[in-house]
Amino acid sequence: MKKIVAIVGSNADRSTNRQLLEYMQQRYKGEAEIDLMEVDGLPIFQKTRGMVIPDQAKEMAAKIDAAAGVIIATPEWDHSIPAILSSALAWLSYGIHPLMDKPVMITGASFGNLGTSRAQAQLRQILDSPEIEARIMPSSEFLLGHSLNAFDQNGDLLDESQNERLDALFEDFMTFTDVTGKLKHTYADDERRKNEMHVDYGVEGTERQAEH
Amino acid sequence: MKLVGIAGSIGEQSYNRDLLKFIAKKYAGLAEIELVDISDLPVFNPDKDQSESPEVQRVYQKIASAQGVILATPEHNHTVPAAMKNMIEWLSYNLHPFEGKPVWIVGASYHSQGSARAQLHLKQILESPGINAVVMPGDEFLLSNAKEAFDAEGNLKDARTIGFLEKLLHKFLKYVKVIDLFDAPDTMTADDEDLEAKGKVNTTIEGVDMNDDEWVEKAAVRVHAVDGSTYVKLDRGILTVDQLNYFLNTMPVELTYADDNNQFIYYNKNTPTAKMLAPRRPGQAGDPLSSVHPDRAVKHVKQVIHALRTGDSDLVAMPVPGNGPDKHIMHYYKGMHDENGRYRGVNEWVVDIMPIIKYYLDSTGQKLVVDENKRPTSPIIGLDAVTGASSHGSSASAAPQADASTGASESDATPAAPAVEQAPVADEGGIEIGDLLNSGNNTATEGIQPKEVTETPKAAPKPSTPAAAKPEVDASTGASES
Repeated sequence: MKKIVAIVGSNADRSTNRQLLEYMQQRYKGEAEIDLMEVDGLPIFQKTRGMVIPDQAKEMAAKIDAAAGVIIATPEWDHSIPAILSSALAWLSYGIHPLMDKPVMITGASFGNLGTSRAQAQLRQILDSPEIEARIMPSSEFLLGHSLNAFDQNGDLLDESQNERLDALFEDFMTFTDVTGKLKHTYADDERRKNEMHVDYGVEGTERQAEH
Repeated sequence: MKLVGIAGSIGEQSYNRDLLKFIAKKYAGLAEIELVDISDLPVFNPDKDQSESPEVQRVYQKIASAQGVILATPEHNHTVPAAMKNMIEWLSYNLHPFEGKPVWIVGASYHSQGSARAQLHLKQILESPGINAVVMPGDEFLLSNAKEAFDAEGNLKDARTIGFLEKLLHKFLKYVKVIDLFDAPDTMTADDEDLEAKGKVNTTIEGVDMNDDEWVEKAAVRVHAVDGSTYVKLDRGILTVDQLNYFLNTMPVELTYADDNNQFIYYNKNTPTAKMLAPRRPGQAGDPLSSVHPDRAVKHVKQVIHALRTGDSDLVAMPVPGNGPDKHIMHYYKGMHDENGRYRGVNEWVVDIMPIIKYYLDSTGQKLVVDENKRPTSPIIGLDAVTGASSHGSSASAAPQADASTGASESDATPAAPAVEQAPVADEGGIEIGDLLNSGNNTATEGIQPKEVTETPKAAPKPSTPAAAKPEVDASTGASES
């Protein structure tokens, strides 16, 4: 069975994004082994001369490396993704590149109407940057608005049309993880680039990746 | 102009910080730009509110008290650095210092993009409802190849880049002024004056009940107000807060500051309430103007404020009647404006002018005589425009209106009874503001005119001839006279 890492984009104790991922974990347990991953506890990203990466980020990187794909559930704070999720993505592209060529599905839940549409748009741009370069599943927005009232007492998503949409997207995502494995040409090139970036960072160029 | 500059990168080395340092140094003559470090802010977490922590408060205070903010952002993974976003999250949760604040975004990057995408993200972020900053639109300052851009002294090397930067800074300084006017309450008519101060201007201290008797103490904590021996730089001089208090508290007038949000925020506490000409209680500081005026005065307070706010009048002056021949209490209202011409509140002073008149008469050997030929005029100065607009009556009808605006409940408290006994014109001695409001005719106005003050130069020795002995003594004080 495919291993999928699901990143909870919020560090809040009570997060409807975590709830959404837990729901997916249960609902799709026959198709994939979804492992939730928290960003809480990470420090705000900071460049250092020695390129020190927190242990938590290293553990996250190892799990992502071993996974067939990644799901990210992001809240929307100030029209964008939370600083803590942004930090996590920065640590995960600071001399290490676990997300490179990794299939990613983006979801998001918000209390209001819009269901994190703006945060997701920014997240796509971020995941597309040269040091992350994830394989984001195209044309696949899942926006869960009014998330406080979206789940029943068992944690199940109430809206049937949302369930259908989520099922379809997840099924496609499973296919997508297979398809991205066939994109061999850039794959090979990316392996080369990863190594290059490592060399480039060395001592002097530590900021290259960050302030690209 | 006071600006704050924040570099979004908290790395050990940052070209964005270098860029801000360069701007602050090179244009020190144009604006005072203070760099604020954000590297010690805790990680934002909505469940672990640290809005009151010293780290968050420090950044909050700096931004709140600045007229504008320059944000210099690098680009991390096509977006703003997490550190910049983290700062913004703290300042859009329980604290909102960016609300209505002019912001200029600049950015530097290693390569060709010059932080273009991060700047776009930052603009989107700053537009969100919890932040509501007013970001300067138009030209973008994108410093690419930052590594090669500075010389050994930290100055930008390229003259064209400097020229462009300077042009944008000038534009931003103008933008700050424009946005400042945008913040000003917009009252079309006197009726729009909100004496309950429900609105908010950029000096309003939020989070403290205006009617709280401890408003001064609580508001001071809120904004970390300085006190005691801390120096304050004024227009032309430097005083400690203590010195400022000595100075204001010994002014021979009672001073009151009502801001442009119609909030009564200061008076010079130079005498106990009972002894004041216009009594104020310490607990009243911070009150909205509606709380310190009786309902019947409201209409006229609004007229005076509106005349000062719109510039229809620069100074309104009016006597408080009914204090007898030994006291002639005047209330003066002066509109205050900032360097952009924006109205910033009322400077009110109350003074008894009788001691001055008495001194003058005594020292020059003159006396007051009633002028039988004097035509009745309004004792009120500065409300002609209002008269014309609000009623087509004579200036006499304006007078009572204005009188009421003195308003202030304190006028009512002015002891009127003794005046009745002593006043030569007894019929108006005990008159109340409320009565004046309804009278609005020439007789009443005439009545307010304190006849005993009317000068009659013909009977007295001419002031121009220093015949008496005393004026010589006076002359010695005047340096310019000899």
